[in-house]
Amino acid sequence: MPARDGKSGCFLQQKLEMAQNEERRVQFFRLLSDESYSSDLTDDSYEYYQTEIYEQLPSTQTQNQAVLSDGQVGQRADPNVPLRALPLCIQKKRSTRELRQQQRLNIAYWESWSQSQKIFRRRLREQIAISLSGLLPWRHTLIKIEGLFGMGVKGYFTFLRYLLFLNLFHSMIIGGTIVIPSLMYRTKTISSYGLFFLDIFHRNESLIYFRFYERGSLDKSCLNTPLLFLLGIISLLIISFGMVVHRMVVGYKNTRLMGKRFNTNMSNKVFSGWDFCIQDHSAADLKHNLIRNELKMDMEEQGFHLKVSQRTVKHWACLTLLRVLVNIAVLCLLGGSFYLIYYVTTYSKPQKDHWMMDMFFNYLPPITITMANYLLPRAFCKFAAFEDYSLTTQLNLTLIRSVFLKLTSLGIYIFSLYAQHTPGSNKITDTCWEDNFGKKMLHLSVFDLLACIVNTFFVSLPLKWLVESCKESTLAKNVGKTEFMITQHVLDLVYGQTASWVGVFFSPLLPAINAVKLILIFYMKKFTVLHCCAPPSKVFRTYSSSVMFHFMLLLGLIMAVLHLSISLTSLLPGNCGPFKAKNMSSVMNDCVKSLPDLVQTSVSFVASDAFALILIMAEIVILTFFVSRGQANRKAIERLKDMLVMCSADKRFLVMQHTNKMRLQHRKWGEHLSATSGASVDSHLTHRRDLCD
Amino acid sequence: MGGAASQLPKEMVSEYQELTFLTKQEILLAHKRFSELQDRDSLSSRVPMEKILTMPELKSNPFRRRICHVFSTSEPNDGSLTFEDFLDLLSAFSDSATLEIKSHYAFRIFDFDDDGTLDAGDLEKLVNCLTGDTDETRLNPEEMRQLIKNILEESDIDKDGTVNLSEFQHVISRSPDFVSSFKIVL
Repeated sequence: MPARDGKSGCFLQQKLEMAQNEERRVQFFRLLSDESYSSDLTDDSYEYYQTEIYEQLPSTQTQNQAVLSDGQVGQRADPNVPLRALPLCIQKKRSTRELRQQQRLNIAYWESWSQSQKIFRRRLREQIAISLSGLLPWRHTLIKIEGLFGMGVKGYFTFLRYLLFLNLFHSMIIGGTIVIPSLMYRTKTISSYGLFFLDIFHRNESLIYFRFYERGSLDKSCLNTPLLFLLGIISLLIISFGMVVHRMVVGYKNTRLMGKRFNTNMSNKVFSGWDFCIQDHSAADLKHNLIRNELKMDMEEQGFHLKVSQRTVKHWACLTLLRVLVNIAVLCLLGGSFYLIYYVTTYSKPQKDHWMMDMFFNYLPPITITMANYLLPRAFCKFAAFEDYSLTTQLNLTLIRSVFLKLTSLGIYIFSLYAQHTPGSNKITDTCWEDNFGKKMLHLSVFDLLACIVNTFFVSLPLKWLVESCKESTLAKNVGKTEFMITQHVLDLVYGQTASWVGVFFSPLLPAINAVKLILIFYMKKFTVLHCCAPPSKVFRTYSSSVMFHFMLLLGLIMAVLHLSISLTSLLPGNCGPFKAKNMSSVMNDCVKSLPDLVQTSVSFVASDAFALILIMAEIVILTFFVSRGQANRKAIERLKDMLVMCSADKRFLVMQHTNKMRLQHRKWGEHLSATSGASVDSHLTHRRDLCD
Repeated sequence: MGGAASQLPKEMVSEYQELTFLTKQEILLAHKRFSELQDRDSLSSRVPMEKILTMPELKSNPFRRRICHVFSTSEPNDGSLTFEDFLDLLSAFSDSATLEIKSHYAFRIFDFDDDGTLDAGDLEKLVNCLTGDTDETRLNPEEMRQLIKNILEESDIDKDGTVNLSEFQHVISRSPDFVSSFKIVL
């Protein structure tokens, strides 16, 4: 801290003069709840923390000591806080370290040993964390993208990387529990081209399909390939559920606990607005622009809310009518696209005439879905502009509509696939509908990648060339460089992941394929962003949106689980795959029967209704406990905040009173001084006065 | 560490590793970069602020002067840095520094008048730094007034008209973007 004692006296004088002028009054913004009290202190117009007595307040002194004074930190702070985590310069850290060493000599042997153990463990953890973070791929690419395009676009790429890890993890589970056991204990010989990847569309004897994973020679009652298959899929779904919920809740809990009143949107923008990684001068200019625009936009949004509160009844009626019309149009579009998907799926029977036709009809439903998903959100975006909502609401509304479209179109597709199969239910027994279904999901996944390639190389790139080659033409100006639409792209990712989850039971290699696909997509999107896109003019709110991304992912996962449970319980199993000889329940029953009696009874109890009832009761009790504790905590936070306001107001009041007294005294002393000329007075104050004059 | 070409002794490196958040490679790189900045003729270990500001990592940062002032240990506080000050700077801005450290230094950087709190004047300067400090890029006074009012409404919990360190850290702790953006990597 630089020396401020000399200055503060002058400051006080200046502030006092300013107070008399009453022109630029500092306001104490007292926006408390109704129960708060109002203080008459708001009239005082100089900052109380610039008065002398503020320095001597116990709270200020503790703060100064804790942070700024030499060497004292070690004594006050926990000796286990690493030295590097102290906000001190290196010289002071050294003296703190010496102090700590002295202290360690003074304390008992046991304690000093445990402390050094703690330090050792902490260092080990740090080392592990550092080496792990070195493994994260694409770090430099992400930093570069962040520098040029900001946090929002980077958020998309981090999400992509997260999904890649998720899929690699899934592939590991599947490799360990499904693929390796099936290969090792396989009874049929594998044809050499059966494993060949490119053959996936024609040969059925491939690792990709459900059919491949038949019951092998590993045939103990509790350790056989079908059971491992089931175990792998179930653990995969449960683990991904846990991971997604964890990621979502981490972001969500803070906002929930603090409540709406303590929304810190603007402060965050200002306090953590600048990106210190930026090195490029043009990027810095860009960032200036972004921040300014965003702040202005927020201000406009505030103004918008003000405008909303002043709307007349007639205005409201018109707007409601408009909104109803827009919603009807949206619903029509959604319904139309759903019907189209349904129609196309039921219509596209495999044709035997020509392999081209066959391929075309195979890919017709994915093409339809992707087209609908490509066009409709853009339409929704245009619609939302009519509705005269605030900007955030517009964004959210478009997002919700698009999510609904994406997931429901996938749902409709799956539904129509089943509708195709159920009518001749006796036909199911000889064909392998699981296989067929896995194939469809694979097509969906592959087509998603194809769409991405087409979008990159045949839409974005030519558009960029067009815009760059004829800069003067009005058309090019209107089209402009495309922006990177984060929501759209995130939705694509969520959609691909959902397809992978839905299909994983029927085609266990889907996560691995999805991982490869994500790597390809990463490089393509990187190319798109770096070469074809202009930085976004609207700033995306990364934090809240990351919660949103994971929420969408969760919706996808729930859809996949629902689909799996419905299809496995209500449909007859096909005549292939791991459950060919025995169906799922008999496989599990066999295992349970081979267990000892005690375990058997406990398993049957866990599976019974009585246990479910107990479980539900216990859950209710625990939930109630947590909810009430959360409420109590929130109330406590509110009360503490109010208390804080009171205390600070009291402090301010007392400081002001004291300063006023001092001022009066000072004036008296001055008069006294001029009268007696030269008696020793409060040297402190006069000295300062002289300095100022 | 007088001469430009001198190497850091091993025990110094390990000491710096203990006292900062930097890895060995980062410390060596920092030493190399710092010796490049040092004047070959004069033996003084301090590098004046103007020279530090020419580093590409700081060149386009609107807070560069403040950063130098905060991390400088020189007596007249002219913003000149010794090698250790420079390490302090890099440590606070490093990847692995804690939120606590980062927010502490951020607060001191934003506290333009060094009085221990962020008042309306500090906030105004801060916003001007963010939006660009020329006449056409600045927010107009009305907007600025409203913005500062909003910020204080949000983060001044004890309603004393200023944001103090704990209030600042409270706000920052709920903005995970901060840790990833408060970073300078050589």
